[in-house]
Amino acid sequence: MKILVFVAALLMAAPAAAQVNGVQLDAPEALPEFALTDHFGRDFSKQNLQGGWSMVMLGFTYCPDVCPFTLGNLEHVVAEMSLRVRPQNLPKVIFLSVDPDRDREGLKDYTSYFHPDFIGVTGDKPEIDTLVEGLDAFYRFVPKGEDYEVQHSASVSVIDPDGMLRAKLQPPFDPGPTAEFLSRIQIEYRKEAAK
Amino acid sequence: MKIARNALTFSALLALAPPPAFADGLMVQDPWSPAAPPGAKVHAAYLVLQNHGDETRTLIGVQAEGYRAASLHESRMTDGVMTMVAVEQIEVAPHGALELRPGGLHIMLMGPTEARSEGDAVPIALEFANGEALKTQAIVQRNKTHASHGHAGHAM
Repeated sequence: MKILVFVAALLMAAPAAAQVNGVQLDAPEALPEFALTDHFGRDFSKQNLQGGWSMVMLGFTYCPDVCPFTLGNLEHVVAEMSLRVRPQNLPKVIFLSVDPDRDREGLKDYTSYFHPDFIGVTGDKPEIDTLVEGLDAFYRFVPKGEDYEVQHSASVSVIDPDGMLRAKLQPPFDPGPTAEFLSRIQIEYRKEAAK
Repeated sequence: MKIARNALTFSALLALAPPPAFADGLMVQDPWSPAAPPGAKVHAAYLVLQNHGDETRTLIGVQAEGYRAASLHESRMTDGVMTMVAVEQIEVAPHGALELRPGGLHIMLMGPTEARSEGDAVPIALEFANGEALKTQAIVQRNKTHASHGHAGHAM
């Protein structure tokens, strides 16, 4: 996958410690067709990632540390963005559970806890794998005693209103700089669309 | 410090009071546990452990009330992939500090036996190689981020 790496230049006013690790694709990539289910039990397909901005993160609900922290940070990112962009440009947050066997049941309670608008999505493994591959992401199950744990990409995928993978964010997702980065991507997107 | 010869009694007394907790030169600061969705099967707890003593202290385990099990874990990112590894022991250098924080070292709390809500305190005991235990209480609170929420200087 062709990725143009650039760590976003910090804005003048940004505190020195805050940073955003934003990776923009040099050319946005179309997502494959997939058939998943959202946490209300409704179909969730490629079309649900069109018509607005989305941020997709991989995770699993048995994840004690990183997943809740990322979801909490994304909530702050969206709050920060609400100061910068029009409401219709606020990104939807999609929590893609790659652990359907354990997560399907409690996915709504889990995801909506972080924000009522966050959407939990999961489904059958082949369909999950299709989307994960389309996001250039990765996960695997690692046996651990009688249990297993899930290793997964830490990045968050940014999908534009055409349903194209446009950028990836890496931790720590500091809300201010991340919102700034996303706002700038949106401006670039609109400039391109206006051409 | 000589006042904490019997660390267990000492920290048991302190358990009645809010943190910070001390034991023989060790001090726990800001113990907290992110509020988690109802039904979550695992939680985390974080704190800063300071060693004001002249000797290296080795953290070898952790116990938590209200959970089936508790252990020390570390989240690591390798080539963009998050993995969690169990941590057998961690040394805290003399006059050093160990920070447990989201995305790094953390206490993994498995199998909550009762519901908890914001403001609750999770009793936690840190176990050290010399047999000492340091008790503290992690306060359940909403996720804290490292980033500031200042709104100064928007360029757009």
